[in-house]
Amino acid sequence: MAIRTDVVRLYRQLHTWTGILTGLILFVCFYAGALTMFKDPLERWITPPAAVTPATLDRAEDLVAATRALRPEVRDFTLAVEPALAGEAPLRLTWTEERFDPAPWAATLAPDGSVAVEQLNPSGIGLLVDFLHRTVGIPGDLDIGTTVTGIASALYVVALVSGVIILLPSLVKDFLILRVTRNVKRMWLDVHNVLGLISLPFHLVIALSAVVFGLHDHIYDTLDRVVYGGQMRAVAAASSPFRTVSKDMGSAVMLPPREFLTRVHSLAPGFQPVSLEYHDAGTGAATVRVWGHDPRYLVRREGFVLMGAVDGRIIDTEYMPGHQNGWSATVSAFFALHFGSFGGGIVRWSYFLLGLAGAALFYTGNLLWIESRRRTERQAKGPVEQSRATRLLAAGTVGVCLGCVAGLSLTIAAGKWLSGMVHDLHAWHWGVYYATFLGACAWAFLRGASRAGVELLWASAAATAAIPATSLLGLVTPGLWVSDGLIGVDLVALAGALTFAAMARSAERRALGGPRDSVWAAAGGHAKSEMGQQPLPLPAE
Amino acid sequence: MADASSARNAPAPIRPDWWSKGVAGVILGFALAIAMAGLFAWIGPGGPAAVNKLQFVMWLVVPIWLGVASLCFLFRSGRQAWLWLGGANILAHTALLAARSPLLP
Repeated sequence: MAIRTDVVRLYRQLHTWTGILTGLILFVCFYAGALTMFKDPLERWITPPAAVTPATLDRAEDLVAATRALRPEVRDFTLAVEPALAGEAPLRLTWTEERFDPAPWAATLAPDGSVAVEQLNPSGIGLLVDFLHRTVGIPGDLDIGTTVTGIASALYVVALVSGVIILLPSLVKDFLILRVTRNVKRMWLDVHNVLGLISLPFHLVIALSAVVFGLHDHIYDTLDRVVYGGQMRAVAAASSPFRTVSKDMGSAVMLPPREFLTRVHSLAPGFQPVSLEYHDAGTGAATVRVWGHDPRYLVRREGFVLMGAVDGRIIDTEYMPGHQNGWSATVSAFFALHFGSFGGGIVRWSYFLLGLAGAALFYTGNLLWIESRRRTERQAKGPVEQSRATRLLAAGTVGVCLGCVAGLSLTIAAGKWLSGMVHDLHAWHWGVYYATFLGACAWAFLRGASRAGVELLWASAAATAAIPATSLLGLVTPGLWVSDGLIGVDLVALAGALTFAAMARSAERRALGGPRDSVWAAAGGHAKSEMGQQPLPLPAE
Repeated sequence: MADASSARNAPAPIRPDWWSKGVAGVILGFALAIAMAGLFAWIGPGGPAAVNKLQFVMWLVVPIWLGVASLCFLFRSGRQAWLWLGGANILAHTALLAARSPLLP
């Protein structure tokens, strides 16, 4: 396809600058995002096994009544149905004091019919991975971090479009060609293009939806003023599932939990209920949202049907898979395409791998920029100093990316050691992550990209290997354990550790044997002044 | 890429004009996207108050906005970008004002 060379040159510059500005942010978003696909197994891997026998819902009604009697002020709570029936958690009511509370409260029923209320101390690794994915770890209010990732995602869309434009002229010639030759830069470019092109639909979907997730508050505000004449709240309220619910706060008797499930089943036999979320329980306005999934439809993480808790009438099905109008179903599909919450295990694994491939795309992108900025000694007739910007970006790339990788691996492994020993495991998770991440960044700037690159790759390999090592030690060490049915976590971590170790070895070789004018060359390493002596199995550090 | 004949007739090379094109794409592109999404809300199927259409309208803004912001570097110059996008905005916002009516009785 013919595109004028001046246009291609312009878009190459646009691609470079949007990429450089956002590459590091997007690396963290993608790496953490890949892990969010398996945050439940990670949470279970860290949590000590507890003897829980699969419960029935026979006593759920007593539990609700007894908890209501003990804590009348708690009107909003959740009864997890699926975990209790599967024996993954006891039959209990949980509630939180704020929206993202890492330590929810739980009420359980003793055999004698009395209720015990305690604060749970979950590992919170799922919350950590999720927050990292949404905010790249920017501390403070969630809005600040999501606005930053929203803006980065907008630039990322521009980078995607410009990347396609610069690739179009050579698409037929270069597509899916990987030239493993002496020209290492050419090879990295090929890897970058292949990764980018085959996952382009995924990237476009993720990028556009991430902009929506990051910036929707600002977009809604503008729509309110410009399009809806300041009455958008009224339009939104008219769409709310709760729009017809009465405000009657007088006390009223609710139906037993099992009854809601029966009614949902007759409404939609294919719907698999996961939990019941009560709102204003015990009043005339009491409602229950029956959350669940239906693998036949594209839904947000889960869909729900809203029912009256007193009379059991179906109030709203606008978020119920298969019962939505066209607008709701379309928007749900956008959510599902971002979350990968459809198609079961195959999609989940694909999203995991595509997320890691995306992280690799941003990493190779930064490497390409660094390589193309490199002043070669060929023309300069002798060793040259690399520019300050090149050295700083190289160090930053190594520190941020490998700091994120090592920090996540270490905090996962540490979770199992700390579980049961500390009272606020979720805070420890953040502490371990930030300490590793900031330490890696500082290390990269102190030591320079070439040495830190090798060292931090080994550190990432070691931190990731600590996950299966912890499980192995669980066979012999008191206080540790092997998690049942979660060998997958250990195997994936082992594969990751081996990959990082292989990258570390090839980075080592390059530092010593590669071109000595590279930012990746070891200081004082002996020189072979041709570019990229050996074909590298992986984009070498 | 460009063959000889088209090279002979080629117009003056495209001007980068990073700042003026970039600001035009981000700001005028956003304003245009809001107007287009708004037009869809008012004269598209279902009218402005259809249940949960508001969410769809909000989702529409992003692809239009970033499509304009990405492609506006194809304008020959920053001036061209401002003129064309400015004109498109005037048209779209005028149409939106005409299409709007009081939402609530």
